[in-house]
Order: sequence, then structure tokens, then C-alpha cells
Amino acid sequence: METREIISTGNDLAAIAAVDAGCMFFGGYPITPSSEVMHTISDLLPAVGGTAIQMEDEIAGIAAAAGAGMAGVRTMTATSGPGVSLKAENLGLTQMAEVPLVLVNVMRGGPSTGLPTRVSQGDVRQARNPSHGDYRSITLCAGNLAECYTETVRAFNLADRFMQPVIVLLDETIGHMHGKAIIPTAEEVKKGIVPRKQFTGAPEDYRPYGVGPDEPAVLNPMFQGYRYHFTGLHHDAKGFPTEEIETCRKLIQRLEDKVMMHTDELELNEEFMCDDLEENDVLIIAYGSVSLAAKEAIRHLRADGIKAGLFRPITLWPSPAERIKHFTDKVKNVLCVELNIRQYTEEVERVASRLDIHGLYKVNGRAISPYEIVNKVKEII
Amino acid sequence: MARTLMRFTGVGGQGVLLAGEIFAAAKIKEGGYGLKTATYTSQVRGGPTVVDITLDDNEIFYPYANDGEIDFMLSVAQASYNLFKNGVSEGGTIVIEPNLVHPTDEDRKKWNIVEIPIITIAKDEVGNVITQSVIALAIANTYMKALDDELLRNVMLSKVPAKVHDVNNKAYDLGKKYAEEALAKMAS
Repeated sequence: METREIISTGNDLAAIAAVDAGCMFFGGYPITPSSEVMHTISDLLPAVGGTAIQMEDEIAGIAAAAGAGMAGVRTMTATSGPGVSLKAENLGLTQMAEVPLVLVNVMRGGPSTGLPTRVSQGDVRQARNPSHGDYRSITLCAGNLAECYTETVRAFNLADRFMQPVIVLLDETIGHMHGKAIIPTAEEVKKGIVPRKQFTGAPEDYRPYGVGPDEPAVLNPMFQGYRYHFTGLHHDAKGFPTEEIETCRKLIQRLEDKVMMHTDELELNEEFMCDDLEENDVLIIAYGSVSLAAKEAIRHLRADGIKAGLFRPITLWPSPAERIKHFTDKVKNVLCVELNIRQYTEEVERVASRLDIHGLYKVNGRAISPYEIVNKVKEII
Repeated sequence: MARTLMRFTGVGGQGVLLAGEIFAAAKIKEGGYGLKTATYTSQVRGGPTVVDITLDDNEIFYPYANDGEIDFMLSVAQASYNLFKNGVSEGGTIVIEPNLVHPTDEDRKKWNIVEIPIITIAKDEVGNVITQSVIALAIANTYMKALDDELLRNVMLSKVPAKVHDVNNKAYDLGKKYAEEALAKMAS
């Protein structure tokens, strides 16, 4: 794959990635620490014939973006945790109506307005179920500058493949840090774009939601003669509201199965120095910017003769259950490091069927340093 | 080269962020790795700001400076100086603007404190207070010898409009001159 070197920030890289991935619409409302995503895409989109609009608030921002997704174009919004709280209702609508959309959340301290300028990973649990009801979140989490680009690109492709919103989690550290990223060229990204499926038969035969039990809806672009209905209500094959028992059951089961029967297309992890781990060694599980401190810590630990490795989920939801269990079955000392309190640890406990997972957590808006991880590891072994 | 850790502190709006970006970009141009992280408060203008700059020939993972490991700090605001000075290693150099930052006697024992009136130089000698970040850049590089001067200067010029190249060149030269004088004074 052809690559290029860019000196940039995580937020800017997410915006550049969106445009390279064919995003043509951005609707949003600025919020620290995500505002640069909007600033940058506002510069980039008009140059390629796209549209960026600042709406009156976060709710209108995602509503406009979802509307563009319904019309048939690749579309994005960006925000931080408080913004996701406001956007939750429309995220639910895009899950139910199966509208592809990318939401970038640059995490800051919470709950509520929290710590606007400080780093956190407090939205991991929120990303799993931002809105009520049964559906499966697809949530990706960038762990370095290059992934702010590549994961945003992947989010657009997955949104069109699965016909639903895809969340990209950045955090204040990664969103604002400025350095070198080796990323694919825009041409490489364009080569990898698979446009969403379209129905090409006679308009009267078109059933956007009349698909197989594990398939996403097939939503044709608007204004091309294919008429259908968007609703947040339970709906039939043409999108019109219904309370018919089997139709309702099948719809919600399909929202579950279209994701959970295809997790192999979603899973992406990094395994850093995990190859030689044995029973009495140390497995660190971390994601996002915390994984940077973890890698530095592993360098120090190995220099001290302590064998440690990092398992880093890049797709957080659905979780890489089998791969986590593979490691937690093998390694006794497992340490989850998070900028929240146990939000992913609880998932690790669930998939590992273990209640002795150690944790290192910080919720004061400050990063976890490599030395804090080193000290914690020395304490648990 | 071993890892170089520098910290610039000031208050929001003084331009310390840009100085950090220039350092990181210049190190990357040289073929190495450079990272800049900034920490600021929700008070956008006037709140304490700190920029950490990490330069290394090898890949850098953790982007912040660990407390006690910083080789060089430059500060143009008392509040930020107080908050962030403890990141500097014992015996490390702290350059301060003496009109704005007043270290304690204990500080002077612990660190090599150098007084350079950065803001005054920018205002009176360069004639543009905004150039203080370029003066700071030149001072830091003169002390740390982190990068080739001309490389750093060229990256700096690439980040500012052509019409202000002269004034920024002047700022860079003055920063370097004052730093060299301070170094010579200490050596004598």
C-alpha cells in the first residue's frame, strides 16, 4: 500500500480522512476538544463540492448529517461526550432506520460538562448504547495519530456495509497531539471504497427493509424514483409503521444479527509484545491514548526483566471476545488500564469469565503515565 | 540522540503552542520523531498553558513529559511557572521572563534559572510582541542544541506568512544572541 507522511493532529487527521473517504456532508456544532474536526472539514469540504454546516446545536448537527445520509451521501458529525448525550436520540433513529453515518467523539472528562479541556475515556460505555432499545453499536477507537485517519476511513466503509452509525472514539490527548503519521495515500483510500448497496430493479418491486435475516437495509439514494419511508417506529419492508408481531420481532432481531453474525468483518486488534507471554507474565489491556503509555511502560518493564505485553482492541464494540479470552485463559496477571472506572474492564471480566482482572483507573482529567503502569504491574505480580 | 524533553509554559494566546509545533515538525523533517502536546484550561485566553515537546530518533509512544524528566523549560507567566516547574529535572535549565516570573530562592538552588526578558525583546527590539514565541524557540534550541538552527528557522518561516518573514528572522536572531550571551556569562 502506498503511504504518505503527514505532520498533523488527530482531529485534523480525522477530518482529512473523512474527505478522502468520500464524505460529502458534515453537520455539527463545535465543542471542545473536538472543534478542530469541524474547523478543518469546513475548509476541506467546499473544495470538493461538499457541504459543511454549523447548526444551532448538537441535536440539529446530527439531524442534518443523518438527513444527508438518508439522501444517499457519506456523512459525518463530530462532537465530545456532552454532544453525544444530545445526539443520542438521533443516533437511535439512524440505528432503527439504518442510515449510515460516522460520528467522531473526541472524549473529555465527564459526566455532564465535566472537564472540557482534559482527557478521558469516560464515553466507552456510552458508545455501546447511546440510545435506548436493542441494536449493536459499532465503535472504533484510535490509538495513535495514524489511526485517527485510518479508523475514520474504516468507519465510513463499515457504515455503508452495515447501514448504521459508526462511532470513532478519539480522546483529548490523541485529538490534539501533533506529530508524524504515516497514512495511506488518498488514492489508496479511494480504491478501498465500496459504495453502499443499491437496488436496481423496478421501483414497484423495491423493498428497502425486505432483506435477509442478517443483512442490512438497502437504501437507495433519494430523488431517483425509488420511494420509501423513514421512521423510528417499527416498520415493514417498505419502511411504513407496523405492529405486526412477526415483522416487529424480525426487524429487531435483524438489527442484532446483521452485526453480531459478521463480527469477523469488524474485529481489529493490536497485539504488542504478546507473542512470548506465558502463564506468569503480564497482559495489559488498554486502548486509545492510554495504550501509548502502556507501550512505553512495557519497554521499561521488559528492561527490568518483567515480561509484559499489550492487547489493544481497536474495534471496541462489538468487543473481540474470543481473542480477549484467548489471552486471559493463558496469562494469569491481567491489568486493564483506563481513563474511566472499569468501563471496559467489565467487558473483559464478562468475556474472560474471570473476576480477578486488575485495574488502573484515572478520572481526574490527567493522562496515566508509563511509570504509574510500571508501578501497578510490579504491585500485582 | 537521546530523548529531548522541553516544556514551554505561558498563558493562553501567547503563541507557545505554535513554538511546540515548529520544534516537532523540524525534528520530523530531519528524519526523526517529534511530538507536541498541549494542556490548557477551559479559560481560553489567559489561562495557564503548557506545551510539552518530545524529540527522539526513535518512535515516541507516550506524548507527555514525565515529571522530573524535563531538560529545559521556558516560562513567560508566573501562574504557569508555579504549576509546571516541578516537571523539570534537578539541575535542568529554566528560562524565565524576569519581568513576569519571580522564582523563589529555593528554585534558584534547584534549577539553572536564566533570566531573559523575552517579552521586552519582542516589544522593543523586534517591534512585535507576537514574535515572542519565535524568540523562545531560538532560546530553547540554543540551550538544547536539539536541531540544526537553519532547519528550525526554515520550518518556522514555513508556518508564518511571507510578509512577516523579516520580523521573525530578526526575532530568531535576537533569541539566539541573548541565549548565547547568557550561556557565555554562565561559563565565565
